Amino acid sequence: MSNIEFSIDDKKLEALPGETVLKAALRNGIDIPYLCYHPCLSIAGNCRICLVRIKGRPGFHPSCNLPVAPGMEIESDCEDVSAVRKNVMQFITLNHPVDCPVCDKAGECKLQNYHFKYNGSASLSIDAKKHKPKFYDVNERILLDAERCILCSRCVRFTHEISKSGMLGITERGQQSRVEHLESGAAKDDYSDNIIQNCPVGALLSRDFLYKSRVWYLEPVASVCNGCARGCSVDVWRRKHHWKVRALGSEKNRMAYRITAKQNDDINGRWICNKGFDLNKQINDFASRATKPAIGGMDATCQDALSEARKLIFEAKKPAAIVSAHASNEELEAFKKTLGSRVEVYVRKDYEPAAGEVVEDELLIKADKNPNSTKVEELFGKESFSAAAGHDLVLVWGDNVEYSALSGAKIIHLATQKPNGNPDVLIPISTQFERKGSYTNFEGKVNRFEQVFDKPELVLHASDVFGRL
Amino acid sequence: MSCLKEQFDELRKIYPDEIKDAMVLPLLQMTLKAKGHLVESDALYIADYLELPAMQVKEAMTWYSMLYRTPVGKHVVKVCRSVACSLRGEQRIVAHISKKLGIKPGETTADNKFTLLEVECLASCGTAPMMQINDTYHEDLTEAKIDQILEALQ
Repeated sequence: MSNIEFSIDDKKLEALPGETVLKAALRNGIDIPYLCYHPCLSIAGNCRICLVRIKGRPGFHPSCNLPVAPGMEIESDCEDVSAVRKNVMQFITLNHPVDCPVCDKAGECKLQNYHFKYNGSASLSIDAKKHKPKFYDVNERILLDAERCILCSRCVRFTHEISKSGMLGITERGQQSRVEHLESGAAKDDYSDNIIQNCPVGALLSRDFLYKSRVWYLEPVASVCNGCARGCSVDVWRRKHHWKVRALGSEKNRMAYRITAKQNDDINGRWICNKGFDLNKQINDFASRATKPAIGGMDATCQDALSEARKLIFEAKKPAAIVSAHASNEELEAFKKTLGSRVEVYVRKDYEPAAGEVVEDELLIKADKNPNSTKVEELFGKESFSAAAGHDLVLVWGDNVEYSALSGAKIIHLATQKPNGNPDVLIPISTQFERKGSYTNFEGKVNRFEQVFDKPELVLHASDVFGRL
Repeated sequence: MSCLKEQFDELRKIYPDEIKDAMVLPLLQMTLKAKGHLVESDALYIADYLELPAMQVKEAMTWYSMLYRTPVGKHVVKVCRSVACSLRGEQRIVAHISKKLGIKPGETTADNKFTLLEVECLASCGTAPMMQINDTYHEDLTEAKIDQILEALQ
């Protein structure tokens, strides 16, 4: 089928067959406001802010639910439409508390943006606003401020259509309407945090991010979730350089404030699972980070630790290395180039599914809880370390290692986290968030991540370490 | 629930499986008739019976003002409070009924005869202010008219 020709504000455009006016407009860079529309969800058409006129037809039409017809002439930037949008904004904000100064969404709120753009007038109402629950617990991760909710139903549609938990619904009617879950316990939803991100206003709030920071102090950095073999694209929100205030303390200035899903149609679409949203806890876990080199459990300088490691490798009769499935493609290549031919290489999955964790589902979550198993297997095969092979030295790369499984061989450990014991040499290495790189996911798709923070002073990049051994 | 389930099964025979969600309302009405008022567990039971998301049934249950969710008296006085009725003196009407029956909206008289509720639009805006008592609409209300209606029901 060929494209359909139509016009918006006298601008000739082409729409794909079956496309709605709103979709075609957004694709062509024309800004029609919308609150309840979401490209991945069904059309609700209940916010009425996307109303447009069709030349020659009476009334106004919601563009989100208006299929393009050949020769259609749309008016979206005329006085009539502006007046309607203003009225819609007046209606939507009639009972909205306008508590932007204490709202986490302030700064990235569609309602704020549209108020400035289309409304700009004080409320017409002289009546007291309708009060609703301020902190309704959706589940252990999410709070709902029902007063701020504009009943766009995005969250309800998400839980029914995408995550399929069906945990939310809009109860009551008219002014009493509000988003609720069943009283008989909050339903489990492994993707629930997406509704926070997709709420166009500040109604759904992350308990983790609640009152932590104003969003204009933060900036997103593109990264990849390392929680499973899917390798979803995420944004890690750190403090902007301009707002790194010394008085806040180093932790606040070097903190991942929140994680949001980053659109990547090839890998994860627009969603990530709750484990991805919890990445910031992993990043902010400074207490368990390995930050100092050690020789036999005693702190040492980087130089001494590297020298000792070099000596051990030189003296070993049958050295082996175990590579990490959390290492990046670049690090694995560097390892292969430098050490790969000098040692026997084994592979290992750093993490197995934790107790109570969702092992695998049909949407995103994969059973392999490591981000780069594909590349590891491509370069080094699948053979895992066996004590029977009789190695006298093992270079262990990665975390979550039990030394007892290494059959008494001498151990050089490259780790991001403090190990359970004292290896002969411990070399702390940078985490994924302290360097650039890429992972290859289970489908063979490469996903790049950027550096979010600087590495601690005594920590080395694994790819630099191999060259110096 | 067992005899209710038989009624459900009887009704299910005439509904094709593809449109089983159309049974939500008749099943809620049957349950209401049997129990007098509905609670969330009734919605859960119906959702389970129809294999639908429980929230979908709860949404329907809370949407309709005819599906009572608290015990009600013999005559349920539902006064419309939406815009047309509100502009034409709904608050005055409610105040008058409250005074007459000695109860606030949401309450039931001690003799269990009257329950007073304020509800969303009852779709009779052209004859506002109005109220519904059980299944009967009473329109273009005045205080005198209300006195007459309530006395007839005493």
